[in-house]
Amino acid sequence: MFAISVIGQETEKKKERPVRSMFESSILIDDQTSIIPLKNTLVMHIQHRFGLIKTNGASDLFGIYAASANTRMGLNYSILNNLSVGYGITRKNMYNDFQVKWAFLKQTRSGSIPLNLAVYANMAIDGRKKTAFGDDYEFINRLSYFTQLIAGRKFNEWFSMELSVSYSHFNAVPTEDIDVKGYEHSVFGAGGHMRFKFSPQSSIVILYSMPIFIEGMAENTDVLNTWSPNFGFGYEVATSTHAFQIFVTTANGILPQDVYMYNTSELSETEIRFGFNITRLWGF
Amino acid sequence: MKSLKHITLVFITLIFVSAFMAFVTPQDQKVGEKWDVPEKYQKMENPYAGDASLKKIGKMLYSKHCKSCHGSKGLGNGSKAAQLETFPGDFSSSEFKKNSPGNLYYMTYVGRDEMKSFDKKISDEEDQWAVIMYIRSL
Repeated sequence: MFAISVIGQETEKKKERPVRSMFESSILIDDQTSIIPLKNTLVMHIQHRFGLIKTNGASDLFGIYAASANTRMGLNYSILNNLSVGYGITRKNMYNDFQVKWAFLKQTRSGSIPLNLAVYANMAIDGRKKTAFGDDYEFINRLSYFTQLIAGRKFNEWFSMELSVSYSHFNAVPTEDIDVKGYEHSVFGAGGHMRFKFSPQSSIVILYSMPIFIEGMAENTDVLNTWSPNFGFGYEVATSTHAFQIFVTTANGILPQDVYMYNTSELSETEIRFGFNITRLWGF
Repeated sequence: MKSLKHITLVFITLIFVSAFMAFVTPQDQKVGEKWDVPEKYQKMENPYAGDASLKKIGKMLYSKHCKSCHGSKGLGNGSKAAQLETFPGDFSSSEFKKNSPGNLYYMTYVGRDEMKSFDKKISDEEDQWAVIMYIRSL
């Protein structure tokens, strides 16, 4: 009887294992995924966005040598199999971001849990000189926040998809006339990304996200934000310790709250740029 | 139009350089010493033996984690193999095929020297054995 019980438990455990690699990296173009590498894994991210492809054409190699590039370098560490913390620094506004991600539900191979669910949050410090903040400088004016709920599903070996809802907030925004004409402090957002895996190591990845501005909640009568959606399309290759994504995207902000709040580029041939992400893993 | 010609010229040059480099032979590599596999591992049984559904999983994991050194057919000719001091081994050789599944498990998930443990990179037991089964099928 005891033996049967043990076998029963083992079978149960076997059924409850999470699905294999829904996505290859904890980031996909400009989005976070619900993926957290195994406990005690250190991850280095290098995220780069080049200048616009069409502005100078071949004369700056389609934006690759343009001066307006943006880069983020960051480190994340998995404290637990479902909890990671990280820090990164972005060229644009010298954002220093501190982030945490908790994957509280993982899709199982048996299907008993049909989805991955994760929450991601960050706090960024705008690292520019004090003069960038006007006369009434206070440290809290440098802070911005981003919170996101991510739901993901691996449909089969070749197709995975995630949807997200988010909230971005900046403590200080440019204003021309307080409560009349200026930028909003906060915005909701929604987005999704998907992966079409066409070989053991290679995939096509697509991303779309958009700010959701609710007029009834507007602080200003004349809102200056452009509220442009972000689009990305690219190729991903993954090895044992790396994931490399090369893509075309509209936003150059990299930091999610900047993308949702300040992206002004639409999906058109004059407003797209090349970019890449490199993820490197070290297990301890 | 002029820039298109330049790009074409760069691509043609790259193709020629790549073709030339293909004939550069790597320095001599040493052959690895015989593995000293503990008895516990030698006698290890594969709990997933005969599970044909793992063949595809094994192939995918092999491509991601092993191919760069061991080559797509396990001949030890992957793109990174030439940088290793020790020849990664020929999985199709009769000598290699004498290894028991447990021996291969030890070599892969305990490892030594340049053949580092893949225990953390492939952490799930079923996945670990899927890779062993695929290696044995090469």
